[in-house]
Amino acid sequence: PTTQSALGIDEEVSVQKRARAPNVKLDEERLLGPAGIPKLRARAATGLRLKGRGHEFGDAQRLLSFYQLWLDDLFPKARFLDALAMVEKAGHKRRMAAARMEWINEGRPGRAGDEEERD
Amino acid sequence: MDMPDGATDIVHPEVRAHINSLVSALGGLSVDDDGQYQLGDDALEVLRDIKRWIRFYDEKTNRMDVARCIHQANLIEGDLLPILATWPENANDSKYKARIALACLEVMVPLTWPMEWDMERMTVNHHRHMPVLELAQVAYKRAIINFDGARILHTAVRVALPSMAVPIGDRTQRDQGIIKLVLFFLRNIASIAPPPDVKYDGDETQISRSATIDAFSYQDIFHVLLMLASNMGDDFRNEDTAVMEIIYHLVKRVDIEKMFMSDQQLHKARADELAAVMKKEQEMLKSYSRPSRHNRFGTMIWVKREDGKMTTLMGQDAVANAATRQRKMDNAKTYRPPRRAKKEDKVDREMGPPAKLNSRANNQLQSFVEDFLDSGFNPLFSHVRKTIDREAAYLMQYHRRQFFYLVAWFLEAERMRRRSKKDSNDNNNNNNNNNNKKQDEQVTSFNLVAGVLNQEMFITLNKALHESYEYKDWHELTAVMRCFTQILITVQEMMQCGRDDDEEIAENILSRLFYEEATHDAVANIIRTYKDQNFDYLDAATELVHHFLRILESYSKQNVDMQVRSRKRTRRKKKAAQEAGGDNAADDDEGDGSENDEAKAEKTSKERKFDFHRFANRFTPQGVVDTFITFTKHYRDLSDAQLKRAHRYLYRVAFKQEMSVMLFRVDIIHLLYNMVKGPEPLDKSSSMFKDWEELVKQILRKCTKKIDERPELIIEMLFSKTSSSAHFLEFGYEKQTVSSK
Repeated sequence: PTTQSALGIDEEVSVQKRARAPNVKLDEERLLGPAGIPKLRARAATGLRLKGRGHEFGDAQRLLSFYQLWLDDLFPKARFLDALAMVEKAGHKRRMAAARMEWINEGRPGRAGDEEERD
Repeated sequence: MDMPDGATDIVHPEVRAHINSLVSALGGLSVDDDGQYQLGDDALEVLRDIKRWIRFYDEKTNRMDVARCIHQANLIEGDLLPILATWPENANDSKYKARIALACLEVMVPLTWPMEWDMERMTVNHHRHMPVLELAQVAYKRAIINFDGARILHTAVRVALPSMAVPIGDRTQRDQGIIKLVLFFLRNIASIAPPPDVKYDGDETQISRSATIDAFSYQDIFHVLLMLASNMGDDFRNEDTAVMEIIYHLVKRVDIEKMFMSDQQLHKARADELAAVMKKEQEMLKSYSRPSRHNRFGTMIWVKREDGKMTTLMGQDAVANAATRQRKMDNAKTYRPPRRAKKEDKVDREMGPPAKLNSRANNQLQSFVEDFLDSGFNPLFSHVRKTIDREAAYLMQYHRRQFFYLVAWFLEAERMRRRSKKDSNDNNNNNNNNNNKKQDEQVTSFNLVAGVLNQEMFITLNKALHESYEYKDWHELTAVMRCFTQILITVQEMMQCGRDDDEEIAENILSRLFYEEATHDAVANIIRTYKDQNFDYLDAATELVHHFLRILESYSKQNVDMQVRSRKRTRRKKKAAQEAGGDNAADDDEGDGSENDEAKAEKTSKERKFDFHRFANRFTPQGVVDTFITFTKHYRDLSDAQLKRAHRYLYRVAFKQEMSVMLFRVDIIHLLYNMVKGPEPLDKSSSMFKDWEELVKQILRKCTKKIDERPELIIEMLFSKTSSSAHFLEFGYEKQTVSSK
C-alpha cells in the first residue's frame, strides 16, 4: 500500500444518512400482542386479589399498581398516566373495538340455558 | 434615546426632528418663580399639527414612529397635562382654553388607544415599537391619574359638558364626536394595564385597579357614568357601548363577594385567607417525606416483580411503602409524549389577573355598583341589547362578549347585595326593626334587573349561545354561559322569595327558558365536546351544566306535565314511507289504522312531555364525564363551590343515573384515589373533604364489586366506553331499544 491509500483518500466514503430506528409506539399492534391485553387477562386471573367491602382504598391501590406494572412491562418508557392515555387512544381503532367486543361477548352468558338463571 | 451622531436611529430622523420642533414650539414652563406653564404663540396650531402627524403619518402608513417620538419627547407629561391644568374650573367661558383642552384630548386619545397584537397585520415597525409603547402607555396612565396640578379626567369631561347639555336632537356631528372622544379617553385610561409578560418596574400602586377606581371616584367620573347610563335611550343613543366598555374595564375580574363585605368582614376574610394558604403550605411540606439521613446515604432497593424481574430503586423513601416505590418507578421515566404548544390568548391578556382592591377602592366601587344597579342597569343594558340585535355599525365583535360578561357580573352583584342586606336586616330585626322595609327592598330588588329578564333578552342570549358555539368563538361562549347561569340562579331566587307576583313571574320565565329543546341540546353538546379550551371556559361550562340540571330537575318535579318544544321528527317517517314504497306508511309495528293515525299525530305534534331522567342521561356519555374529570384534575386549586359542582355531577352519574361504569376507567380511578389518599390529597380541613372521601369510597366499592361480577371489566377499564357496552356492563343485559313514539 502506498502512503496515499494508507491515508484513505482514494476510497469513496459513503455519506448517506442511515435510516433512524423507528420509534416504538404503544399502538393496537402492541396491545393485541402477547405482552398486551392477553397478558393482562392472564395476570388478572392469577395475581389480582381484591378484598372487597371495607378495603376500598387498599383495593384501589392494588388495582392501580396492577395496571402500572403491566404497562411498565408492555411499554417501559412512558409514565403511567401518559401510557394510559395512549392505550385509551388506541382503543378507538377499528381492530381494537372489534377485539373489545369479542372479550365482552366471551363474558356474556351463552345463548342456551341462561333464561332459567336470570329471573 | 438621543443618538449623538443621528446615524442609526430606529425612526426616520426627519420625523423625529419635526416632532421635536413641534413639541418645543408648544410652550414650556416659565422661568418666573411661580413656574406656570406658558403656552406658545401658535399652540393651537401646533397641537393640530401633532394630530395631523399622528393621523397622516402613523395611521395612514401603518407605522408607529410618531408615537415613539412623542413618547421620547415626553409630550404628555411635560406639556399636555400642565396645559390642561391651566384651564381652571371656573373659567369655562374661555373659548380659546376650551379649544386648547379639546386639542390636547384629541392628541391623547390616539396615544392611549389600546394596542392589538395582531400577528397578521403587524409589520417590522410594530414589533420594534410596541413593547416600548406599551410601557409608555402605562407611564401615561400613571401621569394622568396621579397628576397633582389638576383633575385631568374631570377636565376631560368638562370638555364634553357643553355638547352633553345640548338636547339630542340638536347635537351636531361635532358634538357627538366630542362626547365619543371623551368617553374613549376614559375607556383608554381604564383599560391600560402593564403588559403581562413584562415586570413593571415602577410603583404598582400608582397604576393598579385600586388607583384607577380611586381616581375615577375622586374626579367624579362615576357620577358621569351613572348619568350617561341612566339616560341611555333618552339623551344618549350611540354612546352605550363606550359607557359599557368603561364599566367593563373597571369591574372585570373583581371579586364580588369581597366587594360587599364590610371592612371588618374583609379583614377577617383576608386573615382567613392567609391562614388557609399557610395551612395549605404546611400540608404541602408535610406531604414531602424527607429522608432522615444525608443525601449520600445510598440506600438501594430491589423490587421483585413477576417473571423473575427486578427493578432497582435508589433512595431511602423507597423503603417506606409500596405506593412510594411505585411512584418513584414512575417518576424516574423521562419520556414525554409530544404535545402541541399552547396558543397565546389575546382575551386572557385583556382580562388580566384577578383584581385585588384595597378597602378604599372597594368601598368606592361598591357604592358605584349599588347606584348603578338602582338607576343605570336597566336602561343601559336594554339599550345595548337593542344595539346588538340591530347590529349597529359602531358595534364591535368584543362588545357582545363584554355585554354578556357584565350582565352576569351585575346579576351576581345584585344577588350578593341582596344577601348582605338580608344579613344586616336579620341583625337589625333582632334589634326590633320593622319588617315592611325588608319587603319593600325585595320588591324593588328584582325589578332593578328586570331589563335582562325579558323575552327579547332570552332570544338574544339563545341566538348568541348557538352562534358562538357554531363559530367556535369560545370567549364569547364563555361570557354567554356565565350570563345564562346567572340568569337561572337569579330567577330561581325569585321563585323562592316568598312574594306571589314575583314567584309567578319567575315561574313564567323558567317555563320559557326550558321550553326550547334546542337549548337543552346546546347545553348538552357544549359540555360533551369540550376540547383544549382554557380553564375559564371549562369552569363556565361546568357551572352552567350544574345549575341547569339542578334547576331543571326541581322545576320538572314541580310541573309534572312539563312540555318542551322539539323539532318535528318527520325524517324517519319519510324514510319509512319511502321504504314501504309509495304513499302508505310502513305498518309493520303498528296494529290498526287508528293507532297509526294517533302515532302520526303525536309525531308531528311539536310539544312533547318532558322526561327529566332521559334528559339527564344525555350527561352520562364519555365526553361529558371526561370534561368533568378534566375539571376535577385541578382539585388543588378549586374553591369549595367548584369542588361541590364536580362532586354533585359524579354522584349524579354513579348513583342517580346508574351509570357508574362510565367512571370505571383507570385514569379516573387514579385521580379519585389520589384526591383522597395520594401524596397531594385534597385539603383535609376543607368542608368538602369528607363528602369526597365518602363518594370516592362508594365508587371504588362499586368498582371492585363490578370487577368480581364481570371479569371483562378489567380490560374495559382501560378504554372509553360506548353507551351500549356501558349499559351491558352496568346491568348485564342488552339495552332495550325504546320504540320511538
